[in-house]
Amino acid sequence: MAGLNESPCGLGELITAYLDGELLAGELDRVVRHLSDCRDCIAEFRRCQEMRTALRTLPRLEIPESLLPSLHYGPELSAYLDGELATVELKAISSHLEACRECRSELHELDSARTAIRSLPRIEPPAFLDARRRPDDLKPNRGVRRYAGLTAGIAAAAVIALGVISTGPAPRQVDVANFADRHLARASVEAGFTVIPAVSTGNTP
Amino acid sequence: MVSELVPNWEDVARRYGRKIYNFAYRLTGNPDDASDLVQEVLLRVRRGLASYTPGSFEGWLWRITRNAFLDSVRRKQRRPTSPLPDDDRATLGSSPSPDEVLASVRLSDDIQAALLKLPIDFRECVVLCDVVGLTYEEIATAVDVPVGTVRSRIHRGRKVLRDMLTWPV
Repeated sequence: MAGLNESPCGLGELITAYLDGELLAGELDRVVRHLSDCRDCIAEFRRCQEMRTALRTLPRLEIPESLLPSLHYGPELSAYLDGELATVELKAISSHLEACRECRSELHELDSARTAIRSLPRIEPPAFLDARRRPDDLKPNRGVRRYAGLTAGIAAAAVIALGVISTGPAPRQVDVANFADRHLARASVEAGFTVIPAVSTGNTP
Repeated sequence: MVSELVPNWEDVARRYGRKIYNFAYRLTGNPDDASDLVQEVLLRVRRGLASYTPGSFEGWLWRITRNAFLDSVRRKQRRPTSPLPDDDRATLGSSPSPDEVLASVRLSDDIQAALLKLPIDFRECVVLCDVVGLTYEEIATAVDVPVGTVRSRIHRGRKVLRDMLTWPV
């Protein structure tokens, strides 16, 4: 074996490999059989195990932030909040968040903003968009014209909704204006967007 | 996905930075040398990724890390004013890192001091195994020796540490 004469049976290296789960199949049988009735080797096994444990439980040190310049997460944090990350990314981001105050704060802001957006009131669609009504109730010509005016209404309502939220128990340092812009941009291009104004009748051109 | 096969260096720094730092710290025994080593490793990763062909990424990464460590040891050997970590126990004792103070584990200081006295061949194998958590085969790739040699070095390394620490039976 290793020639250190630490164990009278010369099994030392095999015991180490056994502890590390690195034995080959044939060796495994031999070591297990031997350990079952050799007191010296059981004692040696314990000593090896203690040293191994001591090494493996050395404190894990944090890498100084300065060594990782400008290593911060951006879009991944939103995906993180939405539970849309792959496992590998999730692990990396979770451990990064433990160490990085900046990303934690960014995450907190995104979370507040996400909550704000998600708590926007759901508003009943105007009658002509209500699928529950029978088709002959709808007046397509008028509907098209009114729909054209809807975008402006959506904009107004979203701004009001966000304004109200921003004056409440304010999410810390959320850039509401920026969010409102993005929100409105989406509202103006997506007809199916869920925020539909309750009071928009006066806007028909 | 190609980006998963050839990661960019920011990904490498994010995913492996802490492990590389712990490897560096346990091998050098002080935060300054560990930081220098991590910087050097990340620099080499950055340069090397351009020519990296997808394969055993960890093997590649730890080979770079280990080579950077050996180079830093060689550089220090050429500069007599700056002694080898092996002879540098006083420095280690006089400036413990905040992490160590917090942990206030006398034992871990003893183990660290003993690690620094271990010959480099043994030290790197033990640290790659017990601190970084590589398998014998991964260590063999990183250190460029047969698996049997890795096994022997880990066993003998731990044994010598045990003797230095006069481990209670």
